[in-house]
Amino acid sequence: MSSKDKILTAVKASQPEQRELPPLEPPTEGRPADPAKQFVEVLEAIGGRAYIVSGWERIGMILKEAYTADKRVVSGCAGLGFMMESIDDPHSLENVELAVLEGHFGVAENGACWITEDRMMERALPFIAQNLALVIHKKDIVPTMYEAYQRIADAEYGFGTFIAGPSKTADIEQSLVLGAHGPRSMTVFLIDEGMSDAGFY
Amino acid sequence: MSKQDHAALADAFNKDESRVDWHDQTLWFVREKRDKAVNKVPEWEWLRETASQIKNNVLSNLSEYLTQFEAQAVQNGVVVHWAADANEHNEIVYGLLKKHGVDRMVKSKSMLTEECHLNEFLAEKGVDVVDTDLGERVVQLAGEPPSHIVLPCIHKKKEEIGEIFHEHLGTPAGNADPQFLTHAARLHLREKFLTRKAALTGVNFAVAETGEFVVCTNEGNADMGAHLADIHIACMGIEKLIPERKHLGVFLRLLTRSATGQPVTTYSSHFKKPRPGQEMHIVLVDNGRSTQLGKKDFRNSLKCIRCAACFNTCPVYRRSGGHSYHTAVAGPIGSILSPNLDMKKYADLPFASTLCGSCSNVCPVKIDIHDQLYKWRQVIVQEGYAPVAKKLMMKTMTWVLSHPSVYHTAGKAGRWFMLNTPFTVNNGLNPWWKGREMPEAPRESFGQWYKRNRK
Repeated sequence: MSSKDKILTAVKASQPEQRELPPLEPPTEGRPADPAKQFVEVLEAIGGRAYIVSGWERIGMILKEAYTADKRVVSGCAGLGFMMESIDDPHSLENVELAVLEGHFGVAENGACWITEDRMMERALPFIAQNLALVIHKKDIVPTMYEAYQRIADAEYGFGTFIAGPSKTADIEQSLVLGAHGPRSMTVFLIDEGMSDAGFY
Repeated sequence: MSKQDHAALADAFNKDESRVDWHDQTLWFVREKRDKAVNKVPEWEWLRETASQIKNNVLSNLSEYLTQFEAQAVQNGVVVHWAADANEHNEIVYGLLKKHGVDRMVKSKSMLTEECHLNEFLAEKGVDVVDTDLGERVVQLAGEPPSHIVLPCIHKKKEEIGEIFHEHLGTPAGNADPQFLTHAARLHLREKFLTRKAALTGVNFAVAETGEFVVCTNEGNADMGAHLADIHIACMGIEKLIPERKHLGVFLRLLTRSATGQPVTTYSSHFKKPRPGQEMHIVLVDNGRSTQLGKKDFRNSLKCIRCAACFNTCPVYRRSGGHSYHTAVAGPIGSILSPNLDMKKYADLPFASTLCGSCSNVCPVKIDIHDQLYKWRQVIVQEGYAPVAKKLMMKTMTWVLSHPSVYHTAGKAGRWFMLNTPFTVNNGLNPWWKGREMPEAPRESFGQWYKRNRK
């Protein structure tokens, strides 16, 4: 008998009588009224940064100010046309200073953004870059992980991940250090189409 | 592995009182962070109950979910392996590495591979394994096992870590700054990520419906390893399954809040298909789990999601340290899982508890941990695995308590000795004397007092 058959037979013989699955919709009492506001607060509390912007042009300006031309910036966002680049080998991403990618949506309760590999250029990119910026639309912020999984319950992907803030560790005496193996900083741009940039110019 | 039991190992840990206090406070700090995070979620108790019910359903359909998971994973282009025990698991991993001519591998946190002693096994075969979780790398360099499943080097002070890094990574002697040491580890491990062809990761959750698995880390080490390697091996216990993707919405809300007080880990990565050109393998491991599943009183321990909330809250764990449990998964949950693997070797662990019940109160999937500790004690004594001294004591107690005249004489003698020759009880031979003065004995027993006042 193969190990598979052995294990399955043993499990079947041992498993208790049928128990039903519970309903999944959580009670919503006591939830913050404004998911976007909560998202920004939580993201900042876990070491991330948030900008609410009117659109891609504004994002480009902010990034140009922060990253000089000698730094390698890789973008998978059509909206930031000037930065596109193709990748052959993920190992070549080792010197990327900034990766800018478009996420699908954000989660207010934990500051996470969902992104799938079709938007990553390379699976390694959001992890290997020294800094990471994700772009989502402000309207695409769901309150909790329950709504998040309602959105992606039937989604097709080979790889997808929730990213909440910069890579971090507190393994040394519980001292929080940002930038363990992955990005040292994580910025989320929240595009709010209804917003005016007038004040910024 | 040490032959000493929990009490002896805890004794050794307790020699350095200030370190015990520090260890205790550090873990209590984590417990407090957990409370703060939990209190921000009004539906917390609803989440715990729902998670518990989902896990009950999983256990009652595990063979079906396993079959479904394998079929889906295969359809996704993943190779699925089945390992009945630790040795078969280790052989499968080694076989894959050998096939690819790989003798160097990066590994992210996997308590299962600790349980199976994979590192030692591969070292003997000449395979170099680098643990990439910072805490795990620290204990690996120190030649120790992790002392905590979430915070592997929580027993180490930063000065000791500085010393280890000085020796192995060449950092300046005396530098114990966590920021600096973490940066040194980042550079050291980046080189490993970029040069290793094989990466092994653990699995936090596996979804029967889709064949995908989820790995949660804060450091990003699982992703760095897996996405840069040609071959990704994911090892999981068969109890890690959940029915559908949407159930992750319950467990990911519970896991990190319970573990560290964060709202979620930095990365919750969903691996469904290998990337083009990559090989992805899943090793499903039983190693005693199907046996545990058949034990009515103990099967609920398989609901565990390895958050370690029970460690951080446990007054015994906090003051005895993870290594005193001499097992891969320490703490209260380890004390109910380990006797299933080897009842004789771990007969001491269910006794390493005050049965205060705090573990059950914080458990995100509502495992009745302290009840199971109590039940294991009974099984262990009945099976004859209790320590000789304890067995003798219990036999004597049975005899004394079932003979009223003996009981009264013994009580009288005890009171006389405590009153007239206190040195006979206030000494190291009496375990009750350790850390406390014996109380003054009353002049008469309750029985005598009652007789006198009954009129």
